[in-house]
Amino acid sequence: MTFFSRFSLTLLALWSALAAASSDYHERLFLHPLPQSSLLASFNFRSNTSQQSFDNQHFRYFPRALGQILQHAHTKELHLRFTTGRWDAESWGPRPWNGSKEGGTGVELWAWIDASGDEEAFAKWITLTQSLSGLFCASLNFIDSTRTTRPVVSFEPAGDHPPTDGLHLLHGTLPGEVVCTENLTPFLKLLPCKGKAGVSTLFDGHKLFDAAWQSMSVDVRPLCPPEGECVVQIEQTVDMVLDIERSKRPRDNPIPRPVPNDQLVCDTSKPYNSDDTCYPLETTTEKGWSLSEVFGRKLNGVCPLTDSKDPNESTVCLRVPHDRGVFTSEGTLETKQADGFTRCFTLKASEPFDLVIPEQPVTSEVPLEEPILNAERTIVGHGAERGGMRIIFGNPSDTSDVDFIFFETLPWFLRPYIHTLRATITGRDGVRREIPVSEIVKETFYRPAIDRERGTQLELVMSVPAASIVTLTYDFEKAILRYTEYPPDANRGFNVAPAVIRILDSPHTRDTAQNAPVFIRSTSLLLPLPTPDFSMPYNVIILTSTVIALGFGTIFNILVRRVVSADEAAALGAQTLKARILGRLVAIRDKLGGKGTKVE
Amino acid sequence: MSVDRRKIAVFSAAFVLRLVLICLFPSLPDLLTGRVEVSTPVNSFKRLQEGLFLYTRNVSPYDGGVFHQAPLLLPLFALLPEAQFHPLPTAIFYIFVDLVNAQALATISESGQSVKSRLHSAIRKHIRWDGVSVAAWFLFNPFTIATCLARSTSVFTASGILFAVSNAVSGNTVNSMLALGFASYLSLYPALLFVPLVLLCFDQRAQGQSQVPNVALFVIQHGAMLVGSVSALLGLSYLITGNFWEFMSATYGFHLLVPDLTPNSGLWWYFFIEMFDSFREFFLGVFWLHLASYVGGLTTRLRRQPLFVITSLLGVFAIFKPYPSISDASLFLALLPLYRHLFPLMRYTFFAISAILYSSLLGPAFYHLWIYAGSGNANFFYAITLVWSLGLSILLADAVFAAIRDEWEQEHPESQGQEVKQV
Repeated sequence: MTFFSRFSLTLLALWSALAAASSDYHERLFLHPLPQSSLLASFNFRSNTSQQSFDNQHFRYFPRALGQILQHAHTKELHLRFTTGRWDAESWGPRPWNGSKEGGTGVELWAWIDASGDEEAFAKWITLTQSLSGLFCASLNFIDSTRTTRPVVSFEPAGDHPPTDGLHLLHGTLPGEVVCTENLTPFLKLLPCKGKAGVSTLFDGHKLFDAAWQSMSVDVRPLCPPEGECVVQIEQTVDMVLDIERSKRPRDNPIPRPVPNDQLVCDTSKPYNSDDTCYPLETTTEKGWSLSEVFGRKLNGVCPLTDSKDPNESTVCLRVPHDRGVFTSEGTLETKQADGFTRCFTLKASEPFDLVIPEQPVTSEVPLEEPILNAERTIVGHGAERGGMRIIFGNPSDTSDVDFIFFETLPWFLRPYIHTLRATITGRDGVRREIPVSEIVKETFYRPAIDRERGTQLELVMSVPAASIVTLTYDFEKAILRYTEYPPDANRGFNVAPAVIRILDSPHTRDTAQNAPVFIRSTSLLLPLPTPDFSMPYNVIILTSTVIALGFGTIFNILVRRVVSADEAAALGAQTLKARILGRLVAIRDKLGGKGTKVE
Repeated sequence: MSVDRRKIAVFSAAFVLRLVLICLFPSLPDLLTGRVEVSTPVNSFKRLQEGLFLYTRNVSPYDGGVFHQAPLLLPLFALLPEAQFHPLPTAIFYIFVDLVNAQALATISESGQSVKSRLHSAIRKHIRWDGVSVAAWFLFNPFTIATCLARSTSVFTASGILFAVSNAVSGNTVNSMLALGFASYLSLYPALLFVPLVLLCFDQRAQGQSQVPNVALFVIQHGAMLVGSVSALLGLSYLITGNFWEFMSATYGFHLLVPDLTPNSGLWWYFFIEMFDSFREFFLGVFWLHLASYVGGLTTRLRRQPLFVITSLLGVFAIFKPYPSISDASLFLALLPLYRHLFPLMRYTFFAISAILYSSLLGPAFYHLWIYAGSGNANFFYAITLVWSLGLSILLADAVFAAIRDEWEQEHPESQGQEVKQV
């Protein structure tokens, strides 16, 4: 069990225990203190609507605005992600929800669209992105053909779809999109309680977007249980990792200040220890915090729309050792789980809830599991002309191989040379040796980019052996663009979307009966391109035209003129237009001169 | 046979020099392949390798933005062992193509067509280089060596052109048209050489016969041969790729519309980077018309010397075509020594040679400043391409002037050596 993501397992197990009724609404908050005084807060809101009432536009919990967009664009399944920051897998362990509820940096959207052909699907996709762009105040309308891909193996529908051929998967990313408060407000409006009651009252844009990592997701999928009617499920999640120290700073005085002298714990064994010199000792206690300190407000009761068939349904869960002291508001019912680390709270309706964890010496810690796969993607090389991509996959397991699908989309101005794809493998002995790519890569799906039309799509089905690190590299060339195609901050570079890794049927995913896929996303990359001089289009047009005119003028001048010897030229000179005009001028002058003398 | 021995010496020295360069500096070919002055999007060996990689894995190489070269190159290079693991066979193949080109050049030179044709006979025909010297000049030109080491596919276009000319001067008009068809199929622009080449063939045919054949019929016959050879090659390409319009738009469409603005030694790339979007199509048309306009002008005025028209048109292409590289300049510079007898009549050779040397030395430096050091901007390299084009166009204009003066002297033998003027 050590290698299994117990935390994600708990999350999923708790969550799935709630049966999917035809029309219901559930919400939940999961808190998990992480090492380095971080706190993972995982919010989840889920509601079901029967397929029939969805088709008849009879919306209760399902947001009408989103439902109508989906119907208009014939979208059967939708996944939308807004993410900022980076999940630090080394310190924080595996990702919440096994990475299935997070996206790459920026905005990521994928959907299954019902259409009769590729072109129709794309037209509906454009309708969908334009509408969602308006709904979520995000630049989703910039997902054009160059940012849209059709992954072949990387994604599988999460819902139950009737077996038809008409479903088209389209995937788009906006790695440069800055997710901010204006995206949170429409997100909250989709919730039945709209942030007025229940766990959604904790959302504060200042705290949420100050997090070290945060991811908002919207998933819509049809579900058809073996018995009963089909439902359309919408699930919204917000996951964030807050720095507790940083969040506890009061809003009106956010500047960090040094610890006052009298509160410093000094190492008195140091020889230089005195009144004015101190070697601070590491604290042996865990910092205390409370919901109202970290989120800036208390949790405002329970959303009254929550299904209350089960009166003991708990909405807030906390994952700390059972011996940790936790104080809650009065009237809260606490249930401790058998795993020794999780406790859940059933809240009293319409009463504010706060949760206080006092400062306490560390006695036991919640164990962190090791991720199944570590992945890292970087751009190597220097200069604005060409570079290389390096992707490092580390398999920490000593026993089992990891099979996964690596999916990346590259913008068209990054031209990869797939024939330069190389693989090296490093075992536990630290010896690095080159191996044929076919030993690691089982299958390749490659769709090269076309300039200004579509981006590169690369899907690799791979397997990394136990206890080894595999490095893939390939070369690429950077295109130079027309000057109008550069953004105003051209020298900052261009964003390259993160790669998506889906772990295939590993022992881990087999154990979670949920069959939820495990996803890992790399960070987004910044690609500097060669830039022209933006200040001088006129000068360039003039200078180039001059050189062309010089060439053309000289050659045609030579071609059309007659060759004569120098003597002849002098003789001919008398008959040229210039000579004749000069002659006429002289004659006029003489005439005028003659007149002048007469008058005198 | 002392001449033959000289030729063998020159050819084997050229062969050994290239082989030694490759063996002593194994990274040199890849370095040169990456240079923008040598490799353009339409002749880059790295792009060919990528196309080949996709082709051998049954992915259409034309369904992408990287490969824009003719489809027949794919099965040809698929026969050679993969260049990234076994570079030597490919390198030797390229060296042989270079030697074959030099041989064609020697044939052209030895035919004497450049000094004495049907309608023209130069005054200074005693001042000339023999075939071996011309071939040596071509083989030891650093531009040719760089092109050969960089494995640029322009060398095949150059072969096509040189074979077309060498067959034309030897009277094999059919072979000449087939070779021109091959060159046009590879790079499109050699089709513009059809008019002077067919005149060269015509002069060659008419020279031996007392009765001059019908010009119109001759041109139509040879035009049909050219069209036939190109269509045969296109038909073969269709069999290889299976999608006619896809490869047509990826190769010839790419040549015509210039969508890839990777820097090169020509004038188009920076102009079209900076051009306003609404005028892009207009200027594309203007630039192509400009390029084609030289054919009519030069052919009409220098009707008596069709080989010189071909030489100067190659110079025009080296300056004004959309994706020029130093291989185009090396082809122009290879044909120029055929007109050694015109050198005394040229006026600005020092200035032109200085400009060319200056830009070929400073070009790589300024490119480095822009792309790698970051201490210069795009204007540095752009300015050098302007100087390069200017130097080449001065050389070209000077050669044209010398040819015209030579024709004049032939008409007025009494005024040989006198100062002349153009009015």
